[in-house]
Amino acid sequence: MKIIVPVKTNPDLQMVRIKNRQPVLEAVPYILGDLDKNAVEAALQLQAEAGDTQVIALTLNQGNRKIKDTMKEALAMGADEAYIVTDDALVDTDQAGKALAIAKAIETIGGADVIIFGEGSHDGYSGQVGPRVAELLGVPEIGFARKLTPGGPGIQAERSMGDFIEVLEAPLPIVITVASEINEPRIPTLMNIMKAGKKPSTDWTLADLGLEAADVAPKNKILSNLAEEQDRKNIMLEGDVNAQVAALIDALTREGVLEA
Amino acid sequence: MDFRFTPEQDLYRQSIRQWLEANLEPRARGIDEAEDGIPTDITEGMASLGMFGVTIPERLGGLDIPDEERMVYAMITIHEIARADMSMSTPVYTLLTIGWAYIINKYGTEQLKELVLPKVAEGRCFCGINTTEPGGGSDLANITTISLPEGDNYVFNGEKAYISGPKECAKWGYPSGHCTLSRTDPEAGYQGFSFIYVPRDIPGISDHLYKDMGRMGLSTGGFIYKDAKVPKWCLLGEEGKGFYVNMDGFNAARIIVAAACLGGAEKALEISRDYCKQRVLFGKPISKNQGISFEMTNDWMQLDMLRLNLTRAAWMYGYNDANPGTFSRGELNKVVATCKCLSPTLGHDIARHGMIYHGGFGYTKDTPLEMMLRGIMSYEVGAEGGLNIMRGIICRDEFGDEFNSFKD
Repeated sequence: MKIIVPVKTNPDLQMVRIKNRQPVLEAVPYILGDLDKNAVEAALQLQAEAGDTQVIALTLNQGNRKIKDTMKEALAMGADEAYIVTDDALVDTDQAGKALAIAKAIETIGGADVIIFGEGSHDGYSGQVGPRVAELLGVPEIGFARKLTPGGPGIQAERSMGDFIEVLEAPLPIVITVASEINEPRIPTLMNIMKAGKKPSTDWTLADLGLEAADVAPKNKILSNLAEEQDRKNIMLEGDVNAQVAALIDALTREGVLEA
Repeated sequence: MDFRFTPEQDLYRQSIRQWLEANLEPRARGIDEAEDGIPTDITEGMASLGMFGVTIPERLGGLDIPDEERMVYAMITIHEIARADMSMSTPVYTLLTIGWAYIINKYGTEQLKELVLPKVAEGRCFCGINTTEPGGGSDLANITTISLPEGDNYVFNGEKAYISGPKECAKWGYPSGHCTLSRTDPEAGYQGFSFIYVPRDIPGISDHLYKDMGRMGLSTGGFIYKDAKVPKWCLLGEEGKGFYVNMDGFNAARIIVAAACLGGAEKALEISRDYCKQRVLFGKPISKNQGISFEMTNDWMQLDMLRLNLTRAAWMYGYNDANPGTFSRGELNKVVATCKCLSPTLGHDIARHGMIYHGGFGYTKDTPLEMMLRGIMSYEVGAEGGLNIMRGIICRDEFGDEFNSFKD
């Protein structure tokens, strides 16, 4: 079996400061997203269960100057091989462009039996790329899986629908997106960190995928990206304690915090 | 020239920090209070990530890392453990074991290495250092424990004091033990010393324990030797050259001792930073008071300089072992002794300053600061070389023999 895990490296959100409602990305290191690690872990667990399985980590470089180092974490977790697509045109592309580049990269690698995404990236979190790739490849997709089991005609996936749990089965090849509950990603051991540097890592540009910059040109434009602003109401309550309590209850009721 | 850590070193630091923050940090206070060693599930977890294998070659159960980087990996390991267990119990337990394992690998016989090192890498063996005697540890030239060669053995008689790890040796059993300085030829002065690995579980050795003020998760005690027979294959280096082997071992140990102090200091400064930002007095956060913020800045500047110098020391030591003769003994001594001299005091200062910023809260056991202050003092009073001994080394090796206070 061949499993491809398309992962995204993002600026480390814990290191991002907000200044004038804009994120300051200068000097912020890129890391593998938590949901991307869940996806890698899910692939490695399938590999362990199914045996004779190759796990490939694939990424589009969107401005991470240390992408090779960041991808080492996926290799150190246990992925067998990495593919990195770097191209200036990818920096400002949108979900459609990314899905196209990933689908082409999967085809160029020679296809896969299972393609596992995190349910969304931990920066943009659109959750679109996985389903779009399934559509482009013409294969079924199961989103938000919290358990995967190989067997049957292909793979069984369980997902939580709030009030009930749904169990789905689909033949291979398939695209799956995983939720964070699916597993606890392993921490790379030093032995595997040292092995990671010796694993194959292939660098591609869009041209290697038969694509041009125009193919991934964004079809939508982000007009603004501002941190949420929460202004305090600064209401001063006057009078003695009883009057203040009554005024407070009244104010909270008007805000809908308390029921009338 | 490049001052950066390698991507592998960065990833290793990131990985073990994640594990230690989740698994060791929440239990550090409990380890200090229980006074019953480092829990086995902790040492097992550390071993599974490779923390006990950094100084041991792959063929002996350790890790396939470049030899010249082993001390840098050891430094990263101990720095990160000290951030998580500021009592210093777990970092000192680990630095003793992996530091003296490095020396066993460097100087030991094949038989000794095969016996001890795979167990160390698995996290199931304690190794320590055993030089100090009831009369003191700074004046090593005058120690009195003897180990006369007799057939296939060295026969030990004498007494050692203030040694870390008697209970830890008992926990793991044979071949846990200590690199021990003794006289194989009592008449020969410096040339009569040998450095020998002494497994604790040998007939003729008894121990006793002291009650420490800090790092309560690691025992301290003494050993008495009465005709204890240690096999000759436990010799480290050559007979009669033990003093120099021991001193080389101290250089390795002092690097990771300083790493423990700086790791704890770094974490203590972060705890103070976070507290001062949110503690409001007189209508503003206390971080706005320059009496606090400039003191923290001074501490940070010294911390940053020492981190840099310690990285240099770890690199120099490992590089010199992989490329012998690159640095002279004096060059190494000075850089290492500088780190060992300044790091414990800086760690103590940063913990004490933090306690004062925290006010009454800082005097309680609800912050780890007092625990760190108690633990780090072991390195001020002398473990791995007293502060004035470090000054004596630097003074001798920088200014010359006229300044050598160790000789008349």
